[in-house]
Amino acid sequence: MAEALLELDGVTVRRGMGVVLNNFSLTVKSGECVILYGENGAGKSTVIETAARLLPMESGTVRHHGKIVCDGDGRRINPPKPFGLTLQSNCLVQSQTIEQRFQDVVSLCGKSFDSKPLLEDYKISNRRNDKIAHLSGGQMRKVAVLSGLIPGMVSAEPRIILLDEPDSGLDDTSVEMLVSHLHMLRNLGHAIVIASHDKRLFECATTMHDLSTAQSNRPENTDTWTVISKDKKYSLLNTKIGWKLNFSTLVSLQRNWLAALLVMGTLLSIADPLTLTDEEIILMGFTLAPAFTMGLIGDSVFKILAEHRAIDWWRSQHNTVPHSYAESALSGMIITAIAMQIFLQSVDLRIIIVGGLITLFTSIAVRFLQMSTIRLARSNAVFIRLLTPILILPWGIVVDYCAAL
Amino acid sequence: MRVRAGEVVLGLGFIGLMITLFLAFNWAPSVNINAFQAPESQRIFYWHVPAAWAAFIAFAVLFVGSALWFFKRSPLGWKLHIAGSEAGLACGLMAVWSGCVWGAAEWGTPWDWEDWRLNTFGLLTLLALFLVLGRQSQPDGVESRDTFSTFGLYGFVLVPLTYVATRIWVIRHPGPVIGGDEESSISGDMALVLMIGAISFTTLIVGHILTSMEITKFEQRLERLQKELDGE
Repeated sequence: MAEALLELDGVTVRRGMGVVLNNFSLTVKSGECVILYGENGAGKSTVIETAARLLPMESGTVRHHGKIVCDGDGRRINPPKPFGLTLQSNCLVQSQTIEQRFQDVVSLCGKSFDSKPLLEDYKISNRRNDKIAHLSGGQMRKVAVLSGLIPGMVSAEPRIILLDEPDSGLDDTSVEMLVSHLHMLRNLGHAIVIASHDKRLFECATTMHDLSTAQSNRPENTDTWTVISKDKKYSLLNTKIGWKLNFSTLVSLQRNWLAALLVMGTLLSIADPLTLTDEEIILMGFTLAPAFTMGLIGDSVFKILAEHRAIDWWRSQHNTVPHSYAESALSGMIITAIAMQIFLQSVDLRIIIVGGLITLFTSIAVRFLQMSTIRLARSNAVFIRLLTPILILPWGIVVDYCAAL
Repeated sequence: MRVRAGEVVLGLGFIGLMITLFLAFNWAPSVNINAFQAPESQRIFYWHVPAAWAAFIAFAVLFVGSALWFFKRSPLGWKLHIAGSEAGLACGLMAVWSGCVWGAAEWGTPWDWEDWRLNTFGLLTLLALFLVLGRQSQPDGVESRDTFSTFGLYGFVLVPLTYVATRIWVIRHPGPVIGGDEESSISGDMALVLMIGAISFTTLIVGHILTSMEITKFEQRLERLQKELDGE
């Protein structure tokens, strides 16, 4: 008997003020393809996003490969195996290239592969090294859909693949290619769930589900996908991906560094450090202010991932999303060393380390506040930075301590 | 036009505040001119202390409301959360602003970033501001209610911290007047004006909470009617 890869058991989910899923259950076994085709607002996307651990539940349990990954008690446990996910939003970082995006997805699966043949199938191989922002809407959708299929394509072991309206924005040739790939991945033993109204995809289904009743279907296609990957070990993946995102976009230079340099320049414009030689606390405050500012601006990678729901894609895969902690600490140390030279005319390694730690911890605190509001419909409009003054008091205490060193 | 209980209580509180102000400026005795840098500005204390007292009541209401919504999904809890955050913001701003005015006159600076009580109380007020502005920026739903009630629950940790800070980490800010030690307690006419102020602010805040809950009820009813018209 085939293994149940995905189980939603008695799931109740609210969105807005309404109950979208009420005690809903669904089991998808290895080699099955379930197509959810209910009318608009029936809850198809809610099923996909709940299965991907993105929505909190009022009750019920979601299991991947027999292990609980989230439940109505608020538990959210990393999935035991990577899975494919394509949401209605493309969830792509616009400043990445297609190749970089695919390498990130493949590295999450612990594999490496050559993406060129796949891109040729979808007629975007010439765009392989172009930034996603430069692609057309249809091309972006192809990248998003392939990001959802790749975990199945690089693994001979059964995997879960969740696709929400994958056909939307694709041309006819690409939809035909998608149907063909879905048949092959299903026949390889992967469990696929698709939310769609497109009748061209219905032929892939082993089960048609309108969220109240399920009907069995028997697909005729027996082609099987040939796995195209090699095993590869990755360590500190979220740190490395965060580092790469940061360097490919230079977002920390644009946001954190610029703010810190502006603060340093402003402080220099109001006081000449040479006239303040007896004011140790003020000079130490001036020295550590740029590092603090850098942290207050927040985690630069979080800012990149907030575009087009990219952070949701990463959150579904792992509880820790890519971050720029290492870069924050390093930048804090460098800016503090520069500020020390300017305001104190000396270099003390202890103060430089403290500067790095200030940036790191402040940035972590701001990121925590931002992550706390990620569920909101308009999380960018929520005035979360009103709470950041809580960090001024500890910063002041550190300044006092450092001035006494 | 029907006059509701909340509006009556609110009105009584407002009258009480006017009486407090009158007594504070015209009747309450002056403090020892040798003990303060700016003795006359000390009269703002009859406004500042009752405002802070009322803010703590509002934050307690916010906490209870947040807990009721978060753990019980109680609509009453959400109404209390809204009322508590609005009242906490109003009274918190009154306490912070009057404190800044007094601090500028007495200490020569309106704010001390190293005083725990000032900072924790200021943060509570910012939390209330965040809850009020944040809620208005979001569509109503369980997502926003859960998120904001979580912040309401976490934020309440600052209330006991602020109270403890008045006893342990007194730097510039005077110690507690209500429930404080013998040195910091007051008596006679000053205590009477302070008590009238505290009662007035408490009445005002109760009136505000009742009125706010009534308004929230109407808003929710309007939302339901809008959805019925939309055919949802």
